Amino acid sequence: MTTSTDRDFTKDKRTVLIVWAALSAATILAWLLTPGESQTATTLGKELVAAIVVLGLIKCRLIIHYFMEVRHAPRWLQATTDGWLVVLWLTLLIIYLV
Amino acid sequence: MTTPDTATRTRPPTRGRRLPGDVDMWVMILGDLFIFGGYFVTYMVFRAVSTEEFTAAQRHLSVGIGVTNTVVLLTSSLFAALAVIAVREGALRNAQRLLWATGACGALFTLIKAYEWHAEISRGYTISDEFFSFYYVLTGVHLVHVAFGLIFLGVAVRELRNPRRRRPAIVEQSVLFWHMIDLLWVVIFALLYLMR
Repeated sequence: MTTSTDRDFTKDKRTVLIVWAALSAATILAWLLTPGESQTATTLGKELVAAIVVLGLIKCRLIIHYFMEVRHAPRWLQATTDGWLVVLWLTLLIIYLV
Repeated sequence: MTTPDTATRTRPPTRGRRLPGDVDMWVMILGDLFIFGGYFVTYMVFRAVSTEEFTAAQRHLSVGIGVTNTVVLLTSSLFAALAVIAVREGALRNAQRLLWATGACGALFTLIKAYEWHAEISRGYTISDEFFSFYYVLTGVHLVHVAFGLIFLGVAVRELRNPRRRRPAIVEQSVLFWHMIDLLWVVIFALLYLMR
């Protein structure tokens, strides 16, 4: 007999599988966006770097929220991890672009 | 079909708020994230000072190897997350198998990284180059974390094999640390391989 708890576990498994697929797809997308070694001699365009940063931020947030289960955690932990993510990626992007 | 090895099948509430793992593990994880964060910013500042040299050196890294290692680590995290669910289901044998699979991916990541280091050193890219000094230290410190993560996974497997112990919190904490390794690698991958 399938209970509501069984259905919850199945839902949890499906969620982590979808998150893994999204993370892998984002990684491959970032790879496809980045030009090959010999294609450009200069640094990447601003739009491309911004896209890499946004993809990186989304990937980190997916790991924190779904794999590390921070989506059900107390608000202080959500605020701390979100703060770390935004400050880190924004600082990296600004330093790269300036 | 998996049969529960124990009578307890507990799924954490999704409506109420609950701290995954425990506070001590989170202090360690947040401490690590802030220390690595400082190091990532330091790297970027040094890169901004010598952009052309860094960009030229970064082009010697194989993005394909970086992508492979990222997918390997993401897959290890998938196994680790499924192991936690298996423990909650009471499917402890399945949880052990998933933790072994997580560890196998960690070992594969280490092997690929060792191959990459060997290839770079053979081509003469050593710590005498500024970018590569950052590359070896960042990926080296990360590898030390992978080694600790593998030890923690071993502790979790040992816990599940002992019928008198089997504390789900230990598995949760080991897995949390493992996800942090994955999280840090995602930033390192973008920083060293993609932002060039």
